[in-house]
Amino acid sequence: MEDDKFYELVELYRNPEHFGKPTKYNCSSEGYSPSCGDKFSVYLEVENNIIKDASFDGRGCVISTVSLSKLCSYLIGKKLNFVDSLNLESIKQLVGIDELSISRVKCATVGLDAIKKISAESNKV
Amino acid sequence: MNYIDVEKLRDDFPILKKEINGNPLIYFDNAATSQRPKQVIDGIKYFYENINANPIRSIHSLAEQATLEYGKAREKVAKFINADPDEIVFVRNTTEAINLVSFSLPFKNGDRISTTYLEHHSNLLPWMRLKEKGVEIDIVNTNEHFELDMDYYKHIPKGTRLVAVTHASNVTGTVTDIKEITQLAHEQGALVLVDAAQSIPHLPFNVKDIGADFIAFSGHKMLGPFGVGVLYIKKEVSKNLGPFLTGGEMIKDVNMTKIVYENSPTLFEAGTQNIEGAYGLGLAIDYLNSVGMKNIENYEKALTSYLYENAKNLENVEVYSGKSKNFLGIFSFNVKGLHSHDTAYLLDKKGIAVRSGFHCAQPLIEERLKLPGATRASLYFYNTKEEVDKFIEELSKVAIKYGR
Ligand SMILES: Cc1ncc(COP(=O)(O)O)c(C=O)c1O
Repeated sequence: MEDDKFYELVELYRNPEHFGKPTKYNCSSEGYSPSCGDKFSVYLEVENNIIKDASFDGRGCVISTVSLSKLCSYLIGKKLNFVDSLNLESIKQLVGIDELSISRVKCATVGLDAIKKISAESNKV
Repeated sequence: MNYIDVEKLRDDFPILKKEINGNPLIYFDNAATSQRPKQVIDGIKYFYENINANPIRSIHSLAEQATLEYGKAREKVAKFINADPDEIVFVRNTTEAINLVSFSLPFKNGDRISTTYLEHHSNLLPWMRLKEKGVEIDIVNTNEHFELDMDYYKHIPKGTRLVAVTHASNVTGTVTDIKEITQLAHEQGALVLVDAAQSIPHLPFNVKDIGADFIAFSGHKMLGPFGVGVLYIKKEVSKNLGPFLTGGEMIKDVNMTKIVYENSPTLFEAGTQNIEGAYGLGLAIDYLNSVGMKNIENYEKALTSYLYENAKNLENVEVYSGKSKNFLGIFSFNVKGLHSHDTAYLLDKKGIAVRSGFHCAQPLIEERLKLPGATRASLYFYNTKEEVDKFIEELSKVAIKYGR
């Protein structure tokens, strides 16, 4: 990654959009990456299977935090099950990076995996 | 820093000539694993080309030589820490060594074991698992300098069977007083297990002087191959241990109604062993002896002081290690406002290899340091002042650009 791109991501990381636990939400889940110590909670407000609002809190690195923040923006207004179609490539596109070393893959997807858990739960009911 | 001729020694380590991301490699992740000299790398090739056979069980000439070399490796390890060869059990690593003790010492409901906040997971989890058997686990605390609470060891709770403690922390660098702890524990009737994974590679070590009952360490952190480690078991104590893994080689006699087990160390070396690993570890020990452990200790002390001295002027950097009276060449830190992964990533772009995250010591980092992770530079005797200069320079740039 170019230094400038990384710098831009660090700026986003300092004050990420959709950060903070909302007062109103009806689904939540945890994302955890034990080797890095990334720990997030994701909160969704879902109505008629549509994501009305998405936010998160917790701590992680630049890649995991910005990935989750961008993912929240992207998902608002979409169907909950839409998240099942997303993968590492989708996250890389959202964040605007084309290469990611293997040790950072888990960082990029920790938030996505947490939201997929919510979707899987909703399929069960 | 004239204890060793570092430039000459570096020639023995082929990997140190590598470039990483367009920069000369600065390998500061020695606490995770050391690099290997060509004496060890070439020696393993020599083993397979000249010695390889299954030792102990076959009687042909090659097997006899393999048996001989395996025995020689055990003698080298024993001499290195001033033990007797039959007190040396070859295992895979420190983790396996500690697990072996946790399975083989017959703990029962109501026994107590103590371990500490400074430990790597490998000296915590094997003990915590024994809670299922009704064993109580005490976690010894540290003061604000990350030194162990010695008062605990002066009044060990009744019923404590085993005191498990690290010799050196892989996060704070703290060197604990294992001689004093062993003495106190023995006076109160407890056995002592020392995790020496971070200390034996870096300083002269004499088990007879320390007196502990079990000592665990890994070959890969001291120039040896992966997959071979050592558990020292004091002779008088070994008869109290039951078998760990069962199968080939660890028995004297078997029929379908009766089994007579071997004595230690054979009892604990079931199945075909990592002979190449033991042989390679023997070569690593030859290498360390040729440099001299006292020289290594002195050189690393000087290099570590140099690093800490230069780190004093860093802005936006928080340091967590080196606060205890005695500490090894470990420098744990964070750039304020940056996750340890991101700091490690930025240093890696300059060819500097450091570790980030929890370092398998999550309770210490999360509960005591209250951090989501730390970055760690760890030194070995082949590192140089120039590398420290470059590290400080690059860290300072990262801290100024990204820190706050
Ligand atoms: C203090 C300490 N104990 C134990 C270990 C575990 O060693 P191994 O992974 O070789 O079993 C380590 C390795 O990082 C360590 O630093």
